[in-house]
Amino acid sequence: MVNRRAFMKSGALALFATGIAGGLPSFIAQAADSRKLWTPYKKNKIMVCIFQRGAMDGLMAVSPYADANLKTLRPGLYMSPSEKEGALFDLDGKFGLHPSLAAFQPFYKENRMAIVHGVGSPNNTRSHFDAQDYMEAGTPFNKGTSSGWLNRVAGLMGHDATPFRSVSLTNALPRSMYGDNESLAISNLQDFAIQMKSTPGVNNLTAKSFEELYDQTSSSLLNKTGKESFDAMKMLNVNNIKNYQPAKDVVYPTSALGNSLKQIAILIKMEVGLEIAFAESGGWDTHVNQGTTNGALGRNLKDFSDCIAAFWKDLASYQDDVTLMTMTEFGRTAHQNGTGGTDHGRASCLFVLGNDVKGGAVYQNIKSLAKEDLEDGRDLPVTTDFRSVFSGVANNHLKISDNKILFPDWNGTSLNLMRS
Amino acid sequence: MKLKRMAKTFTVGAGLTVLFAFTQSKQSAENYRIKLPYKKAGLTERQAAAHLLSRFSFGARPGEVDEVLQIGLENWLEQQLKAAQPDSEVDRRLQGMDALQLSNETIANTYLTPAQVVRIAIKNKLIQKDSVFSADKKEYRDQLKMLMEKQGLKPFVELQTQLINQKIIRAAYSNNQLQEVMTDFWFNHFNVSLTKPQCQQFILTYERDAIRPNVFGDFKTMLVATAKHPAMLEYLDNSASVSMNNELAQRPARIQAQKKIEQAINASMADPNNAAAKGFVQQALNAKKVQGLNENYAREVMELHTLGVDGGYTQKDVTEVARALTGWSVTPLYRDGLEKKIIGKIGEDRMAKNGFVTEGDFFYRADKHDDSSKTILGKYFAPKGGYDEGMRVLDMLSSLPNTAKFVCKKIAVRFVSDQPSEELLKKMSDTYLKHHGNIKEVLLTLVSSVEFWKEDALREKIKSPFELAISTIRATNADIKMPMQIFNWCSRMGQRFYFYQAPTGFPDRAGYWINTGSLLNRMNFGLAFATGKIPGVSLDLLALNQHHEPESAEAALKIYSQILLPERDQEANIKRLTALINDNKVGEKIVAAANQTQPAIQETETDMMSQRAEQRQEKAMLSKKNKPINTPLLAGNNTTVANVTGVIIGSPEFQRK
Repeated sequence: MVNRRAFMKSGALALFATGIAGGLPSFIAQAADSRKLWTPYKKNKIMVCIFQRGAMDGLMAVSPYADANLKTLRPGLYMSPSEKEGALFDLDGKFGLHPSLAAFQPFYKENRMAIVHGVGSPNNTRSHFDAQDYMEAGTPFNKGTSSGWLNRVAGLMGHDATPFRSVSLTNALPRSMYGDNESLAISNLQDFAIQMKSTPGVNNLTAKSFEELYDQTSSSLLNKTGKESFDAMKMLNVNNIKNYQPAKDVVYPTSALGNSLKQIAILIKMEVGLEIAFAESGGWDTHVNQGTTNGALGRNLKDFSDCIAAFWKDLASYQDDVTLMTMTEFGRTAHQNGTGGTDHGRASCLFVLGNDVKGGAVYQNIKSLAKEDLEDGRDLPVTTDFRSVFSGVANNHLKISDNKILFPDWNGTSLNLMRS
Repeated sequence: MKLKRMAKTFTVGAGLTVLFAFTQSKQSAENYRIKLPYKKAGLTERQAAAHLLSRFSFGARPGEVDEVLQIGLENWLEQQLKAAQPDSEVDRRLQGMDALQLSNETIANTYLTPAQVVRIAIKNKLIQKDSVFSADKKEYRDQLKMLMEKQGLKPFVELQTQLINQKIIRAAYSNNQLQEVMTDFWFNHFNVSLTKPQCQQFILTYERDAIRPNVFGDFKTMLVATAKHPAMLEYLDNSASVSMNNELAQRPARIQAQKKIEQAINASMADPNNAAAKGFVQQALNAKKVQGLNENYAREVMELHTLGVDGGYTQKDVTEVARALTGWSVTPLYRDGLEKKIIGKIGEDRMAKNGFVTEGDFFYRADKHDDSSKTILGKYFAPKGGYDEGMRVLDMLSSLPNTAKFVCKKIAVRFVSDQPSEELLKKMSDTYLKHHGNIKEVLLTLVSSVEFWKEDALREKIKSPFELAISTIRATNADIKMPMQIFNWCSRMGQRFYFYQAPTGFPDRAGYWINTGSLLNRMNFGLAFATGKIPGVSLDLLALNQHHEPESAEAALKIYSQILLPERDQEANIKRLTALINDNKVGEKIVAAANQTQPAIQETETDMMSQRAEQRQEKAMLSKKNKPINTPLLAGNNTTVANVTGVIIGSPEFQRK
């Protein structure tokens, strides 16, 4: 795929600037004029967040199998590394990775993936809505925070952005991205065009007429945004998206998450200035028969890890720029319930993947699953505040520092799980 | 031609009533002494009428500027503030929406949320081998559907669809436009969200009962109505905010019951298959959830509904207000629920004697109220204030100067500009305080100010995506048969209304609505709408011009700019577009291409059962016999007209109001 940087390198820019090929984003032309490189084209660091909505059972995804209490609490759901079939992958003698997360094993072995366990929010709500709301706003006791934490990340980056700095692959803006800094919610990148679905010539004309209209409007906001929209449209050549070929041997699962991650990979490779990306994954609310190797949870974990593994492989030479972090609103009860599932609990676990991650380790302060160590006698307590993980990754990977702004009302210490 | 159009409008439908209302209101307008100082601001009456329509309605229909002139601007406004215009068009379109008049109780027991559906499925052993994850399998869905039909139950998404559809229909077709504009405004001020499962079933009645009837009344009435409505009580968790600090809760029998629950928890921990114990645990968890003070509503009622974030309250005040509102909760609505049985057993008389209050679906629980004294914003509230205490707090909040300032600013931002002057705000707040928060009076002060009419306020506001979509429907006299399609476009343009998660509501400023992605989608909306690519939109663009085909593309541009953008400076817009239109092959090419494409079915939703169901329903509708109800593209010039119209709708000028 041709990306914009390639144009710059090959000198094609000169051609574009003289208008022979047409369709050059105006800010490139400006940049070319002033002979300075437009910042978006230097390689950005990119943070990709995946929200697992519904509360993933962290005790099953990354199982503290060595704790004898687990077998008592979950007679029907207990798994261990010593089983003949569907054995856990032993991470450190205490925790085992669910066999459906097999795609994560190499990452862990290569020390690119860290697991944080016992993560959650200090607010003990067990309502999906409230917990997601608090986690995305980043203020666990304040509903009225108007911005989301990822929007504040964008605000702290301290340099100019393209329209694609902050993108969510969802059809409405997620709570994490509410706020003053421009963020884009788009479920399908192909929408990013004037859609007359006709011959390219006609398309260009329609787009051009709009472009001229917006170019000359007296409202400065419409004028400025109009210009950016058309620039963005030109950056994102829809044909490139339609005909996108992932790296060799990479096959994305056809799930919603697979589709989202593929589009994030496209944005990264096109070098359109992406720095913060957001995607969602659903189906984690496993109250009933969540199963062990082949149940609902197992299938979901498999899709989840296969999608991420495909994405990572597809990034190829861009891997150094990207850190991926997963999150979920809370965990599930330590004991199984009467219908072979688990109910809403407190702490869960999350995964951080990247070449700068101090991986191959499970970061945790979990005591035990003995009743007296559980919250309310039933749930894995939160021993790591989600904000310490989020801020740690954002600080180290994106080089932002003001955690007072990032997470107001929070005085904790960031978890340092990255080489900086 | 102008006259002819007028005559036509007046003979349609309730012509007589309109004339009648016109003579009636001419008198009462004098009683009100509304004076609209548009001349002082240098506007002609016609320009003023157009401005009034662009702010106080969801956009002018063709010929509506003339209608307002005919009736008189003051009278039109007077009519709108009364909100009593006959609405046969809306009534006709709402026919068959059988949920719109239902009570919360009926809704809660009929339109089941996905979680309730799963519970029923488990109860009837439909989910066994697999988990909830299989909920999307066809076999399961069919079985579940049969079961639900047999019991007269419906999926929540049907209610949600009606909620969304009715908003679009009312906004597009109601004669009481200002009432709909204000309903939209106040709903957003007192935002609740479909994203929260605990409150989603009550949002329809919230808008219907707490918001719409109060939009021109006293602010306090609406504040109280929202505070007591199940939607708000659940959305901001006040129904879960309780205290044991009262005599009822300290009775020995109570303490005994609490112990029993704890034992049950222990029993279920020992044996997870003990179903009886599990039931208790669930209750205990619910009880656990409601075992303390929850400050969410108390904080937001000050920060977002009344005083504003800099309104001079402290964290201490938040806690004290929360304490004053402990026990404010929802009447048990679920028919087979335990709470309902308990209350039935105790009997209303006995409860009233103990200080409980039942008012519609609002339920004040004396046994969950914090009985000690409070001090709120410097004012002392004596112990044992009971239900009345909360009412006095709301009364106090609604009458404070900072509330007047905050609320008036929000109104001015909506109707004048993103940055209204201090002078205007002062005038409005003075009116607010003088008239005890009467919203109609505040609006009258607003339109009586020159600032509302000044040149620099005209077209200063950017339409929200919803306003863009509705103004398009109105400007083209379009017939919307599938409102959900309009909703999907609004989502794509950045306003998934009823789904805004935070209690702040959608920010009301241009910068929020206009960003790179949303702007492109606005342009695409214009093109898709006018060229018949949105299913269920039927429009007759030639009829807007009395079936005269424009002689040329330039003529079409001029004529349709006038129709769609009355009283705007067209020259620049037209000039910019003329160059394009002159290439007469372009139109043909666009249409040829357009005809090859299938109408776009909405984008894929990802998670959440309800959204999938919504999508399926939508697809089913599309696959019915008559397929997309599409605009018949007439031969010849109409294609040019469609393209020209699409470009005008997507143009910067049409984004402004």
